[in-house]
Amino acid sequence: MATLLRFLIISVFLLVPGTYSLMRAQHDSTASTTHKDSLDYYDMSLDQLLNVKGHGVPSELEALINSLISVASKKPLNTRESPSILSLVTEEEIKASGARDLIDVLRLVPGIDFGVDVQGVVGIGMRGNWAHEGKVLLLLDGQEMNENMYATTQFGNHFPIDQIKKIEIIRGPGSAIYGGYAEYGVVNIVTRQGGDINGLSVSGIYGQTAKDYMRRDISIAAGKKLKDFEWSLSGMVGEGQRSDQTYTDIHGNSYNMDGHSALDPAYANLGLNYKGLSFRGIADFYHTTMQDGYDRIMPAPYTQDFNSYFFELKYPVKIGEKLTITPKLNFKSQSPWNTPHGDSNDATYLRTVNRSTANVTASYNPFRKLNIVLGGEFYRDDAKDHIDTGRFYNGTNSLTFSNYAFFFQGILKTRFVNIIAGARYDDNSNYGDAFVPRLGLTKKFNKFHFKLLYSNSFRAPAIENIEYSPNNIIHPERTTVGELELGYQITRKSILTVNFFDITTTAPIVYYNVGQTDAYTNEGVTGTRGLEAEYRIKARWGSVGLNYSFYTTLGKERIPSYRVATDSSMLLGFAKNKVNLNALVYITKALSVNLTGTFYGNRWGYNSIGADSLPALKKFDPTLLLNLFIRYKTPVKGLNIGLGVYDLLDQRFVYIQPYANPASTTNLPHAPLPGPSREFILRLSYDLSFKNHSEK
Amino acid sequence: VKRTAHILLRGSLLIFLLFSKGLSVRCSAQEVDYKSYTLFVYNFIKYIEWPENKNQGDFVLGVLGDSPVIKELEKLAATKKAKGRTIVIKKFSSVEQVTDCHLLYVTSSRSASIKQLKEMCKNKPILIVGEREGLAKKGAALSFVTLEDDVLKFDINKSEIEQHNLKIPGTLILLGLVI
Repeated sequence: MATLLRFLIISVFLLVPGTYSLMRAQHDSTASTTHKDSLDYYDMSLDQLLNVKGHGVPSELEALINSLISVASKKPLNTRESPSILSLVTEEEIKASGARDLIDVLRLVPGIDFGVDVQGVVGIGMRGNWAHEGKVLLLLDGQEMNENMYATTQFGNHFPIDQIKKIEIIRGPGSAIYGGYAEYGVVNIVTRQGGDINGLSVSGIYGQTAKDYMRRDISIAAGKKLKDFEWSLSGMVGEGQRSDQTYTDIHGNSYNMDGHSALDPAYANLGLNYKGLSFRGIADFYHTTMQDGYDRIMPAPYTQDFNSYFFELKYPVKIGEKLTITPKLNFKSQSPWNTPHGDSNDATYLRTVNRSTANVTASYNPFRKLNIVLGGEFYRDDAKDHIDTGRFYNGTNSLTFSNYAFFFQGILKTRFVNIIAGARYDDNSNYGDAFVPRLGLTKKFNKFHFKLLYSNSFRAPAIENIEYSPNNIIHPERTTVGELELGYQITRKSILTVNFFDITTTAPIVYYNVGQTDAYTNEGVTGTRGLEAEYRIKARWGSVGLNYSFYTTLGKERIPSYRVATDSSMLLGFAKNKVNLNALVYITKALSVNLTGTFYGNRWGYNSIGADSLPALKKFDPTLLLNLFIRYKTPVKGLNIGLGVYDLLDQRFVYIQPYANPASTTNLPHAPLPGPSREFILRLSYDLSFKNHSEK
Repeated sequence: VKRTAHILLRGSLLIFLLFSKGLSVRCSAQEVDYKSYTLFVYNFIKYIEWPENKNQGDFVLGVLGDSPVIKELEKLAATKKAKGRTIVIKKFSSVEQVTDCHLLYVTSSRSASIKQLKEMCKNKPILIVGEREGLAKKGAALSFVTLEDDVLKFDINKSEIEQHNLKIPGTLILLGLVI
């Protein structure tokens, strides 16, 4: 409780000085419009009239909240009218906060949290629900990062944080557009392209705790836009560790994670675009080591790699002013959870999966107020076991599935409301069909906006879900979500949004570990309801974001694997109450200070075995994570230096497993996995502009 | 847990209230830039051709209804000429008050009167400009529209323009959106 109060006091102290600066900035901003009083204003050429805006100079906040976003609708709509509950994270926010990896960025988003799966892997949760396997889609430059064997995404010193231009996050379902991995949410990462980089950019981070380094990553990007041709090439390589602490499994056995919990990324991304014809190629190698296995630690650390390649070819064809048809081809090859042959500490796992996708999407605007999107998609999954004796359930070392999908969306904009209706139908050769409609009503009226959303979504079983299900039959889980968002722009530089949600998932695909292997089954009904509130100020002096997330399971059904037996309103692993603060102040043009913080309420998880030989439930006390980062733009053009500390209070956050089999004395859960302790970070970056260079 | 939640909610509410009070100095959303509207109006005057017999005397710019645009139009009239002629602003508070003018600017507050105005001004060389989006479909010759990226445009109803015996040059048509 004391930590929470301290956190709130800090918030107020940060916000109040901001108020004064804000008013001062508002006063200053009026000066920028005075040029219009000049007589020359009316003598603009007709060409200049092409870019005249309908509204005055936007504040920093207005530019952000009225920016166009297409993640929720395919057709770009401003964030306040886009038919999803959205968060938008900008490049500047990421850089100013000194975020070490994607966990640091996404943790500050309402409703998003992280938990541990097995074998040292940390996965995502959404609005209290464990969403690690195929429930949150992670897109990076349009490529689906989720691996296709289990549909998971692995977090922790993984993705190229320094190269991100923006992240668009749907904190709700996206299946009607994106299909079976977007049941609870979508995280859409857009990296800097040629025109954004326009030169060469090099950056690096070094993180050190009291015991050891936690990361040492280097990132490089080059790119340029030349008339009709744009190219970019970026890469990242590094070494990191999950933690410097000691992991103790549920049986009481321990190992030192320092030196034995590697998180080593290697990544490359090539983008080419010529007159709309675009090519994307990404290679992502994530090398990890760990010793924690499932419930019991292994005799020694062992390797586990996640290797992926992504390719995309796309060409939007404009047919007249009203119709655009975009054919797209994708190929994705992955080797996830790869435990190399010859490692005696765990069974060798060497399965690969290739997905080949063809997609055609047509966007038609019969008139300005109506947009219709129609499309079809076909993909084929080819999985292979590369171990001599390896066999899938069909008795061979390969499996093939195919999937047809058709989708539709209509957006009708009227004076009083925007109506968004859409649906997607998938038919899979293994698990059958899934139909997910959605309906959204949105509108902004000057300072006020609302969104009323109803969506169905589904989670497509991945290959190993089928492989490890009873009789190899498993069905897509289905989710229904209702959401209401109300937003009010209190001043030109501040906005308050509140949303309410209700999620019901029927027949969720639930995971159990059985011995040292996997098992999946459709089981019961689960879900949460709750609210998220966010207050945001953005101005020239900086920005402040304060958000609060709340979920409960009261009135919802719960399945044994997720529920907390002693608290009927909570699910395992995730705090019911979470508060985030992100306060950035530009002390001078060159110097900024950024304080970020997350307060977690109580959480529940299993970390030991009780006298009855069953896993013993434990309440984890509230945690406050505070981080401070100072960035300085040096007099050397393009050279920035940053110093910071993460987990300032040394709270030593642990990732709790959000599922368990509470009735089994043999198939026991994974104990909470420690993250790093207090970590000091040093960041350096240097941007060299091609244009400026040639001018010299 | 309940107490924590309550304190949390109260604390958050307090912060929100502090802000809503403290920042009420200028409590408005991104404002419509009416000066941009007058810029277009000026170019309509500049490029659209009225019949020969309407090219003498003052250029009468009528405004039906109340709108912040009036202040901007008055500034325009004070500083610019309509092809060498003085621009005179005439304000009308109701349709019945509308008298002969060269350009009739229909503010958003009077957009419901557009059909009545259409009848009243039938075959007269009056350029009806609607402030609200969609009026060009209902009887105005031109009406403003703000696109998704906030670029200000105007819809053009060519048949209305012709019916009022006016001529719009191709250069201006390229700027607008023909419906």
